[in-house]
Amino acid sequence: MSDAAVPDVIFDVIKRRRVTRSYLPEPVDDALLAQLVAAARWASNASNRHIHKFLITRDPHRIGMIRSFAPGLLAEPPALIVILTDEGARARERLQEGDTADFIDVGTAAQNMMVMAQALGLGTCPVTSFSKTGVATVLELPEGLIPELMLMVGHPKPVDRGLRANAPKPLQVRDLTYWEVPGVHDPA
Amino acid sequence: MAEITDGVTPAATAGVLTEEQAFRLIAYLTSSAEISLHEPTYYGSLRLIDAASRLIGFMLEHDLPTAEPFLRELKAELDTKKVWSMWDREAYYDFVREVPAEVAAEMMRRESEAQS
Repeated sequence: MSDAAVPDVIFDVIKRRRVTRSYLPEPVDDALLAQLVAAARWASNASNRHIHKFLITRDPHRIGMIRSFAPGLLAEPPALIVILTDEGARARERLQEGDTADFIDVGTAAQNMMVMAQALGLGTCPVTSFSKTGVATVLELPEGLIPELMLMVGHPKPVDRGLRANAPKPLQVRDLTYWEVPGVHDPA
Repeated sequence: MAEITDGVTPAATAGVLTEEQAFRLIAYLTSSAEISLHEPTYYGSLRLIDAASRLIGFMLEHDLPTAEPFLRELKAELDTKKVWSMWDREAYYDFVREVPAEVAAEMMRRESEAQS
């Protein structure tokens, strides 16, 4: 691939990524899961402090148990990657209460994994609607590791979304963009 | 002990959850209560619809001599339309307003059948 084609390929992967809430039962190769975490490792990270860990689980029974405490887990995927805050690392970095950068780092890591997964032909869905204490207990996490976000991972199962013909249309980039000042949607 | 029935009225044990399934539902409901403290208000409706779907899912793993076709269809509808809350909220709200009537109609039909 020529260097000139790279931006188009990247943008195509970004645009084709969708949240996946139906999965085929077949497992995800361990090497692919490791590749997703590698993508997370290279995500933008505040002050390069890396206060998060990534727990991968593929155990169907455990995933079923987790789902009981995770209303946002609308499916039982073959794998979950749980982004954990390491409170010890957080303390070492002298982060203060209310610092939002660590949550932004959770988001950048999740986004890198979702885009990587799309490029690998996998489906993903980020989930934050869960009981942290319930999930931490099922995962047998030691004190100091806090689950922040769970990423469902699996091979997508095609579904008919059953939407109305007049369902809202996707947002347009222009509507989200201000040029120089709020309210100006086009460059001068 | 197996319950003796007249062959028309379903046994009181039909579709009864195992303790494990009941615990999973209790976990789901209590977790939903916790996250409803900070999530958007309409998510509470979504959690209840999903709870109904999960309950039906557990029931379908047991013998359901009379309710199986309706509940299987209802679960498919719940699972398809609950996610409309993310793409087409008005359609989701319409669905939520309509679904109790579907359940009521089936309850009335069953009651009528049992009396005839």
